[in-house]
Amino acid sequence: MKDILALGIGLNREILTTVRLTTGGVCSLVGLDMEESEDCKVCVTESLLLLMHSGFRAARLSFAESEGVCIKIEGDDYAAPEENYPDDEISSALLSALAGDVNMQRRDGRLTAIEFRFAKNGR
Amino acid sequence: MEDKELFQKYRETGDVSVRNEIVEKYLYIASVLAKKFVGRGVEYDDLYQVAALALIKGVERFDESKGLQFSTFITPTITGEIKNYFRDRSRLVHLPRRVSELRVNLKRASDEIFSETGKNPTAKELAFRLGVTEEEIVRAAEAGGVVSLDKPVEDNEDGMSYYDVIPSERDDMELLENRDAVQSAVRVLTAEEREIVRCRFTLELSQAETARRMNVSQMYVSRMERKILNKLKERLQKNSD
Repeated sequence: MKDILALGIGLNREILTTVRLTTGGVCSLVGLDMEESEDCKVCVTESLLLLMHSGFRAARLSFAESEGVCIKIEGDDYAAPEENYPDDEISSALLSALAGDVNMQRRDGRLTAIEFRFAKNGR
Repeated sequence: MEDKELFQKYRETGDVSVRNEIVEKYLYIASVLAKKFVGRGVEYDDLYQVAALALIKGVERFDESKGLQFSTFITPTITGEIKNYFRDRSRLVHLPRRVSELRVNLKRASDEIFSETGKNPTAKELAFRLGVTEEEIVRAAEAGGVVSLDKPVEDNEDGMSYYDVIPSERDDMELLENRDAVQSAVRVLTAEEREIVRCRFTLELSQAETARRMNVSQMYVSRMERKILNKLKERLQKNSD
């Protein structure tokens, strides 16, 4: 696995477009096709929203290349969780439907990190 | 009435009004998921329609006795249908044209905003004016301009155009020969095998869909497919020897 990029961001909705664009750039770099890149961007956005709802005010993202891209997103700067979001269950199911090897790490029942993978040509 | 009871009632009675009650209760998931896939060249309304139809199909297939939440079951089902829809549409959707149209509108909107405010507009202002996302604005701005195939190739003294020098990916004669060889090889297949080939490679159905249509198991289709491919391979090999 080869590290490509590491990012630290404040978790607010305004930054999501920038992160999506960055993700698109990384996907292009590792050779994912347009559809896989779009799916990957959806997964990054959903992960950030899930962490935001879990109470984190910042996040660290790391992108690594391995016959595609492996992405790890960890919550940082924990405050209080936002109110209950019923759509979070849909976000989790969507992540599992789109990405491979989805791993959601929890501590004391609280979501703390999400890892997933997009392989080239869906392999 | 609880979800489980609703599903049980629908299974027992087949009452469409009960099914509709379930569908209406979960239509919000179709809406949420359709929104996640906006911005890929298909309108939200079309995506919502695909998602809603997938929801109805999902209600028919859901087995409440397995203990799974319906929302957990239906999300991948709807996502899969939306992705199939994109796959089917991808032959029709021309993203570069969409991007190039947006570039034209971008220029017009930029000029308008500049003449109204005296300032160059931000991506956010342009997105608002054109009714698209900021991301689409940034992507369109990044995209290179369109180059005509008739444009002369730079550094080329022969005056040749891009049209003259870009190689074709298709060899029509080879395609014709391949088609002829495949048609002749398919003749060795039985009627059932030909039907599997038609479902899988002409109609592009999945193995599961083919199995349903032919009233056999998916495993059977998978086995038959391997057998057919071997048969065709042998036949084509024999023809080429």
